[in-house]
Amino acid sequence: MCRVHCKWYLSTFFFLCTLFNVVSAQNEQTVTGTVTDERGTALTGASISVKGTSIATVAGENGMYRITVGGNGTLVVSSVGYASQEVPVQNRSEINVVLRAAATDLNEVVVVGYGTQLKKDLTGAVSVVKAADVLKRQSTTVAEALQGLTTGIRVRGGGQPGAEALIQIRGAKNLTGTNPLYVIDGLITDANRDFNSFDIQSIQILKDASAAAIYGSRAANGVIIITTKQGKSGPMQIQASARYTVQKMPLYDLMETPEFMKLNYQAYDNAGVSRQKLDSTVNTDWQDVAFRTGSAKDLNMSFSGGGNSGSYYVSGGYFGNKGTVIGTKFDRYNLRVNTQGSKGIFSIGENLAISNANVADMQGNPVVDVYRLLPTIPVYDNTHPGGYGYGDEQKARTFGTNPLAIANIVNSGVDNFRVRGNLWSELKFTSFLKYRLNLGYETSRDHYKYLKKDGFWTLNQSYDPSIANENRASYENKLVENTLAFKEKYGKHDVSAILGQSFQKQTYAQIWGSKRNIVQDASGHYYDVLDQGDGGQLGGYRQEADLISYFGRVEYAYDNRYLINGVLRYDGTSRLGTGHKTGYFPSISAAWRISGEKFFNVSWISDLKLRANYGTLGSSNIGYYDPFPVINTFPTIAMGRDQHIEHLGTQVKLTNPDLRWETLEQQNYGFDVSFLNNKLSLTGDYFIAKTRDVLYGAPILMTTGNDGGNPLVNALSLQNSGLELALTYRGNANAFNYGGTLNFTAVRNKVLKLGYQGNDLFTGLTRTTVGQPLGLWYLLKTDGIFQTQNEVNNYKNSKGQLIQPNAKPGDLRFVDLNDDGQITNSDKMDMGHAWPKFETGLNLFGSYNGFSLTMDWFGSFGAKVINGPRIAMDGFSDNANYRKGIQPWTPENPNTNTPRALYASTLNSRGDIDRWLESGSFARLKLISLSYDLPKEWLTKIGFTNAQLSVSGQNLITITKYTGLDPEFNNANIYERGYDFGAYPNLKMFSVGLNFGF
Amino acid sequence: MKKSLLVILIVLSLTSCSKSVLDQLNPNAMPVSQFWKTEDDAQKGVNAIYAMFYQNGGWNRWIYFRLDLTSDEGMSKSPWVELADWTRFNYVNYNFFEGNGNTWKDTYKAIFRANQVLKFVPDIPFADEKKKAAILAQAKFFRAFYYFYGALLWENMPVITDPHLDDPGYTPPAGTLADVWTQVERDLNEALPDLPVTWDNPNVGRPTKGAVNAYLARMYMQQHKWAEAKTALDYFFTGEGKGLYQMVDFKENFRATQENNAESIFEIQFSDANKTGEGDGVNANMGSNRTQFFAPRGIGWSDGQARFWLVQEFKKEKTTDNQIDPRLRYSLFYPDQEKDFGDKIYGRSWEWGADEAWFKKYSRDYYRNNEDYYSEVNNRLVRYADILLMYAEVLNELGQTVAAVPYVDQVRARSKMAPLATAYPAAVLSKDNFRDRLKMERALELCGESVRWADLKRWGDLESQQKVDVVAQRDPDFKNFTVGKHIRLPIPQTEVLNNPNLKQNAGY
Repeated sequence: MCRVHCKWYLSTFFFLCTLFNVVSAQNEQTVTGTVTDERGTALTGASISVKGTSIATVAGENGMYRITVGGNGTLVVSSVGYASQEVPVQNRSEINVVLRAAATDLNEVVVVGYGTQLKKDLTGAVSVVKAADVLKRQSTTVAEALQGLTTGIRVRGGGQPGAEALIQIRGAKNLTGTNPLYVIDGLITDANRDFNSFDIQSIQILKDASAAAIYGSRAANGVIIITTKQGKSGPMQIQASARYTVQKMPLYDLMETPEFMKLNYQAYDNAGVSRQKLDSTVNTDWQDVAFRTGSAKDLNMSFSGGGNSGSYYVSGGYFGNKGTVIGTKFDRYNLRVNTQGSKGIFSIGENLAISNANVADMQGNPVVDVYRLLPTIPVYDNTHPGGYGYGDEQKARTFGTNPLAIANIVNSGVDNFRVRGNLWSELKFTSFLKYRLNLGYETSRDHYKYLKKDGFWTLNQSYDPSIANENRASYENKLVENTLAFKEKYGKHDVSAILGQSFQKQTYAQIWGSKRNIVQDASGHYYDVLDQGDGGQLGGYRQEADLISYFGRVEYAYDNRYLINGVLRYDGTSRLGTGHKTGYFPSISAAWRISGEKFFNVSWISDLKLRANYGTLGSSNIGYYDPFPVINTFPTIAMGRDQHIEHLGTQVKLTNPDLRWETLEQQNYGFDVSFLNNKLSLTGDYFIAKTRDVLYGAPILMTTGNDGGNPLVNALSLQNSGLELALTYRGNANAFNYGGTLNFTAVRNKVLKLGYQGNDLFTGLTRTTVGQPLGLWYLLKTDGIFQTQNEVNNYKNSKGQLIQPNAKPGDLRFVDLNDDGQITNSDKMDMGHAWPKFETGLNLFGSYNGFSLTMDWFGSFGAKVINGPRIAMDGFSDNANYRKGIQPWTPENPNTNTPRALYASTLNSRGDIDRWLESGSFARLKLISLSYDLPKEWLTKIGFTNAQLSVSGQNLITITKYTGLDPEFNNANIYERGYDFGAYPNLKMFSVGLNFGF
Repeated sequence: MKKSLLVILIVLSLTSCSKSVLDQLNPNAMPVSQFWKTEDDAQKGVNAIYAMFYQNGGWNRWIYFRLDLTSDEGMSKSPWVELADWTRFNYVNYNFFEGNGNTWKDTYKAIFRANQVLKFVPDIPFADEKKKAAILAQAKFFRAFYYFYGALLWENMPVITDPHLDDPGYTPPAGTLADVWTQVERDLNEALPDLPVTWDNPNVGRPTKGAVNAYLARMYMQQHKWAEAKTALDYFFTGEGKGLYQMVDFKENFRATQENNAESIFEIQFSDANKTGEGDGVNANMGSNRTQFFAPRGIGWSDGQARFWLVQEFKKEKTTDNQIDPRLRYSLFYPDQEKDFGDKIYGRSWEWGADEAWFKKYSRDYYRNNEDYYSEVNNRLVRYADILLMYAEVLNELGQTVAAVPYVDQVRARSKMAPLATAYPAAVLSKDNFRDRLKMERALELCGESVRWADLKRWGDLESQQKVDVVAQRDPDFKNFTVGKHIRLPIPQTEVLNNPNLKQNAGY
């Protein structure tokens, strides 16, 4: 099968080579001029071509260009991020072009897989995010900065240093890994925390099947294409930016000792348990101990330039984040070198990024421990070995971890050294045909280090000596791609095509070792190398996967009115089962520009295009060897009178050998319309995406004896359908520029088929059932509080059985759903889910005389979430600090929805009840930013070309009824996305920044 | 142009596609298809069942919460309320992993391993067929062993005797308690002929005929099949096992100093060689977590402790030389330990409640001041003293009370306790009196050794409210006990929901 493809590819190539001839030139004249933006800044590197010919050049130093063109020809001027313009020459010899930033313009250049398109020619759903909008925000990863900037994406992150945000495009389409595919300068990779956003030139998000189809089996979760900056022809430009950010942790409002003691005694008294001997002389604010003001420094500098035959872009950056939890930090150093050069028909270039990132882990989870610890526990306690305060059997019965103790006793973190880049070369045989070789390489060398010193941080902690462990890993990702691109225009027929082959190899290997009783000297220093200590353990493993692909795309447009686009991709992966390794992924899309029709004559509509497409994508985002059962020989047993070690072998994990591609079928119907000379534009999309044969570890019975995770199986079908709308307005009145974008996304998730038997799936607090979204909250319903014993005695089912005989006034009344006279698991019911009904972003900007104001709002509405921390704080069953001012039911205080405080009883505080279910809706001011561009007159005196001062704030206002720290929390569990387990919250941030160039 | 084409062709040929690239061999582990070929594979396969002793759901940790703490000998004051609730019949979430799911899971995991051996080993050629038979017999013993404890805990559980390797979605039919007992009986009887009376030194720790007979007897006794039980136990008194076992210094049953001693009939070989986590990982822990969870507050997690009535019961009778029953010294940690015997508790004087006690058996306070997750002290699952008391019980139930008495006296004599006829004259006079006294004798000799839950069930002490009320006087947790319901655990709810053949146990 594979060989057939090679032949097909080659023969098509020869066919294309022989079919077309070089177009001949016409009568000519020379035109010169400059290309600038609206502010007059030279757009070095802008491309100028003669419409309908292969003649093209790029703007050099100061935006100057020179081109030879027929007197009645038309110039097409474009630059990434700007609306391209067509300018008739009309026999002029000097033409200065002002390009407008492509905020609303449909003539924007969009990078799609293996090529570019004009936005107006798009037939699929592609969102473009401006690098500038991302850079306005202080973020560790690109994904985190995308929140609210476009439709169809769901982003959840958190403020932990080095944390990676979770991004989901158009709903949860599978259960294994819902992160989209990142393509950075043609390298298939991951824009993780190692990647420096400063280098971004443009971001495009391919959301539907036709747009993403060229990435076939990788693209089921959408594709995010990032291109990095390139040097532009001209003298060296130096750009520098510096930003300092202060980060504030949102805080719980917790009780101080006197109030806490009163309530803690009440909980013990109600339970009939003798009170613990709380130490009233201590009043510790554990949030003050664990949290601090964080900060981030983001420093970047770039040098770029070029000449007629080449260009360079070199940047260096440092990002340092001191976390808001003690002991946490993230540091990153980045270096990037992008160069390109050309001679005749040959050009070559490379993009290379080197980064070193280091994260100091958070130890334990202080977000939880600050309330698990009681205010009556001192931070230091000399009666404890090691000297830290923590729970005590008599005085403060809690197993919370002293965050200061664990931060000092345990140190761990990881260093990632990453090289990521590609080398490409291009042969432009003719104006319409070019061949490109792309060699991508990425490696990450990771070093994890852990040291636990002697010491204790919690009550009843087990005795362990000092322990050190380390692991070193290397990841390599190699990519070889050959593509042949064709683009030509015949009268009103625009034809372009691409044909390509791709081979990718990924390898990962790790070795690890650990030792105990690490040697310590008199000063307390630990010699934490693996040569020291005893009880050594070591191990290691390696993995390799290959992907072979062939793909082709044909785009055809007639008169700019009828656009059609077809893609076919063939993939073969080593990860799937024998006989199921290969798959075809086709897509077709079409668009009709109604506004181009003669009959269409609506003056206030500048452009109207309808789009429709259908396509299939695949996914095999699973482990390296999942379909293949193996024998586990890892543990050992002790045997014999001498208790010698013997080895074993057994199959631990079951497998399904027939694992095959999961396929995503997506239909998309959309329109793009712009009004009032493109000042106002509206883009709308409706999509239905069905994922079949989703690969996931469907729960299997424990009676199988399986362990090590549920075996993957193609046993789920999901549907995501949704509506996306983006409305953009851009206007100006004299020097005042203003505008805004309102985007709206509603995605409905539905399970079509489920599991081996089609049985409902129960995980954590959720039920998943066919016809409903993934992960319905499945909880006991409460029905208020018993106010009197009489109410308890009268609470009977239809047969007159007493439903809650053990309840007392002040206890919760549960609904006996099945009317069997008792409260059991069978009384649980569906109580909503964690998927928002809709999410919306509102981005507003205005600028006047160098001042710019940006405001980004983001809102998410309709999700139901479980407030995990509140179970502990309001539960009273286990000791924890309580929320300030909370007043549980007492005979004197009956008008409350907090049941009576009861120690060591789950009567009112079990985790699976609707008492903890809250609305997860919120609206948040993600960003407000004010910047000032220093006037050009001042700058030229000191030799600067631009300088900007900015101040900004992030997450400053949050409107929500959610009582936890942050409604925008992240939970990676697909079923329990809405369970807040004490997630690290998003932070309030205040930044000052300076950008300048010379 | 021609040159360029050449370049392209070279590049294409360099990246030529070959199907074999897609067939990546896993370099990390042997495929199942390459295993179960040699005698060595068979040995490794059966060894894998022993490794289940080291996993959390079973004898590494949680099963003690079921067998010791849930019984009237033990209790939990764990601040982890749900964990404690599962020792006092307060079962809310039937999926609670530590209280139920993990033990259910590891039970079937062990059975799965035994089933793999029983499926593949018969086809492996052996030079010595006896060796092969012994491997198969070990697998059968362990399958019976895990079903036996499963029967004690859940009673009605699916009986699975094939690994169903190619069918992860397999939903077995339901099984009743009778089905489970039938399987246990069949497997043990099949294992019996092929296991040796004793193993050579390198294999001490594997089940012997004695171990099989002990579990045969336990299984029959739970079903009140006294005659069959006697036949099994006769092995120790009139059969091949006669004279093979004898009682040793009492404390040496609970320490690492004299493991696999003459009193031991079957014991778990624990080792602290790997101080790592439990599970199926590289060099997984081979030790026991029990004492880390059962040691007194401030030393261990203290998630489980002993009921104080045991201390009082020990103190009711002195030895023949008028000393406190020496078994108290090695069975429990209790307030007067230092006064009575001069022993500190992990180097500490008593700092806990005046009415509190903890299990001392298997603890390591005889040589260290703390515990950890890697206790090397072997767990004597069956020891000769238990066999003697079981034999006495069986004889009594068969109406041979007089014949039963000497077996109890043997056990008492080791601890310098007077013969029953002297100490409790009434006890030897009737079957019922004898049974009542035997119950206490078993508690004094065997408390904390994970036999009490089976004892209470066998004696019918949990079968009527009246009887439960008596138990509840010793252990108030039994006030939560509903007759007919709490005698068995609920089946993990996910198992019931995901298996259409399964029904939840009655009352749940």
